[in-house]
Amino acid sequence: MNFCKRAWLNVWAKKGRSVLLILVSAAILMFVLAGLLIRSAAIKATNQAKADVGATVTLSANRQAAFKQMRQSSSSSSSKSSRPKLTLTPVKLSDATKIAQLSNVGSYNVTSTTSANAKSYDTVSTSTGMGGSSSGGPGGMKSGSSSSGDTQIDGVTATSLTSDFSDKQSKIVKGRGITTSDKNTNHVVIEKELASQNNLSVGDTMTFKQTTGSKTTVKVKVVGIYKASSSSSSTAGPMSTDPSNTVYTSYTLANSIKGSKYAGTADSVTFNVTNPSKVSSVKTAGNKLISSSKYSLSTDDASYQTVKASMSSVESFANKIVWLVAIAGTIILALIVILMIRERRFEIGVLLSLGEARWKIVAQFFTEMVMVLVVALAIAGVGGKFVGNQLGSQLVSQTATTTQTTSSTTSNQPGGSSQGGGGQPGGQGQNGGPGRTTNSTKQANTKLAITVSAVDLAELGGFGLAITFLSIMIASGGILRLEPRKVLIS
Amino acid sequence: MLKTKDLSYWYQDASQPLFKEVNLEFEAGQSYAILGHSGTGKTTFLSLIAGLDHPKDGEILLGDRSLKQIGLTNYRRHDVAIVFQAYNLFAYMSPLDNLLTAMAITGAEHAGDKAYASQILRDLGIGDDLITRNVQHLSGGQQQRVAIARTMACDAKLVVADEPTGNLDEDNTHAVIAQFQKIAHEQQKCVIIVTHEPDVAAQCDHQYRLENKQFTQLA
Ligand SMILES: Nc1ncnc2c1ncn2[C@@H]1O[C@H](COP(=O)(O)OP(=O)(O)OP(=O)(O)O)[C@@H](O)[C@H]1O
Ligand SMILES: [Mg+2]
Repeated sequence: MNFCKRAWLNVWAKKGRSVLLILVSAAILMFVLAGLLIRSAAIKATNQAKADVGATVTLSANRQAAFKQMRQSSSSSSSKSSRPKLTLTPVKLSDATKIAQLSNVGSYNVTSTTSANAKSYDTVSTSTGMGGSSSGGPGGMKSGSSSSGDTQIDGVTATSLTSDFSDKQSKIVKGRGITTSDKNTNHVVIEKELASQNNLSVGDTMTFKQTTGSKTTVKVKVVGIYKASSSSSSTAGPMSTDPSNTVYTSYTLANSIKGSKYAGTADSVTFNVTNPSKVSSVKTAGNKLISSSKYSLSTDDASYQTVKASMSSVESFANKIVWLVAIAGTIILALIVILMIRERRFEIGVLLSLGEARWKIVAQFFTEMVMVLVVALAIAGVGGKFVGNQLGSQLVSQTATTTQTTSSTTSNQPGGSSQGGGGQPGGQGQNGGPGRTTNSTKQANTKLAITVSAVDLAELGGFGLAITFLSIMIASGGILRLEPRKVLIS
Repeated sequence: MLKTKDLSYWYQDASQPLFKEVNLEFEAGQSYAILGHSGTGKTTFLSLIAGLDHPKDGEILLGDRSLKQIGLTNYRRHDVAIVFQAYNLFAYMSPLDNLLTAMAITGAEHAGDKAYASQILRDLGIGDDLITRNVQHLSGGQQQRVAIARTMACDAKLVVADEPTGNLDEDNTHAVIAQFQKIAHEQQKCVIIVTHEPDVAAQCDHQYRLENKQFTQLA
């Protein structure tokens, strides 16, 4: 191909101009590459974050319906002096297993919370400032107010499935956590402070007393000791006992402490949805399996939505960079190419006077630019990683802070609603209840990994080719109409 | 071999045509000189002959086919070789590459033959030391000879030159015209030269003068 040879001769003869073109192209490509890198990293991080964060669907008693019923019965039976009673139907585990069969549902955690009074040990009392008044005795403050005991019993399927443990708010420090194999046993996991205060260690036994019914004594065995983080204790409401007094057991033990009629039930069951984007479809499918007047399914994909939103903003930002740079680059390159080609009118005229085909003249310019591009691409490959890294870390630190603020506001919502619910009478000392699924600390580990792969470079090369092709096409509009006589004779 | 039939041309913004209904005939193996005052339209006429533009009226025939039928690009590629005032060489190439490029574009018989191209340059006094140097580093006369060499390297039977001796001294002028004569007589090409200088015109086989919109043959 003769035009290839001409292209090479031209690029080689005009070295200074070629170097300049290479630098300009490299700068443009570098920014395109940075955008492409951030975008691909953002996609990767989004997928990672989506997989990490997860979302849950929680089956619990339908409070709203129960309230409505209570109000109705109170208005219809206003003559009666008795106070209206809120009856919350405990969740049936048979329903839970049905929901667990749905697609996209992974593991699930049964929660059954109750309380008991300490017998063989002393509870931990919060010793801050006016702690003296509350240390009047174990459960002194609480015993009068309701039937709840001084020790909170959190019955679970497995401690690792609870949000406190999966969020690393609480950690097993000795022994092990509650697992599915602890079902129907009297194994418990207690808090470190409670353990040290009572000289309890793994393998020891302790006893509670039921707060209701026959008030029988329950003997349990310590299989593990956990440490609650300070943040979890600080989030505890003023009316709750010290968080150190929370004891984890299998939900079966919690149920038996509640009473025999609670066998096979739970306060709530939280299902982990393996694909967070399918949360609402799981909810719809689940609702068909349960009696909606008694139970409700609530979803929690707030942190998933937050991560999704923040990452998609990174993604769209990266997309904008790519397009902006590509458009700006095309304009700059097109202007340079147009100027360059105008300056070569005479040469074009000579070529035309020799009878050269116009498309071959355009092809020559294109070939020249491709030669420039190849070198520019190599430079951009090295430089783009650097620029991408700088931009990427800037971007992540920026979005991380926005994520933190948005997630902290969203995590307030479930907390707030459960506080409102906590104010109602009765109940088995439901502390927080189903709303206690906060994932506020999860999103921080979204880091953009910037690496230049062969695919990136190929994509960049394609982009560069498209940009130059467009520029040459724009600039060549004139060539294709150029009359050689006008060029050669003047 | 080349005929003009009622050829007329005028520029868009001109009230008068430059030349009107010109009927001329140019033969292979002959050289023609076109004289005339500045601004009479010699270059314009040559550009039509060279297939760089379409006539406003009338037509140009190569053999029995009009340039329109042949197609201007096709005509330029295969039938005509041009030497213009500005030498129209590729500035970023050596003399040798200029020849090779032209030969490649026009699909000349000897396309790609470096030895052949070098020999033509040598015959015109462009030695081996200059052959691979950038043409911009050659003198005006040397560049002019490279342009002439290019017309010889290509197969086109028609060679048109616009003031090929404009920038040359007496010795070079003489050598260049001798070269054109050689092209005409030895290669059996038809050479048409526009010039100001009567001396140069006198060396050609035929002379025409463009005056009052018409070409008149000089004795
Ligand atoms: N592109 C153009 N548009 C309008 N008028 C033009 C154009 N090119 C040339 N002319 C005019 O046409 C006339 C003929 O120009 P041309 O270049 O053919 O003259 P010439 O005989 O070659 O002159 P010279 O001997 O000075 O080279 C001149 O008067 C010139 O001003
Ligand atoms: Mg002229």
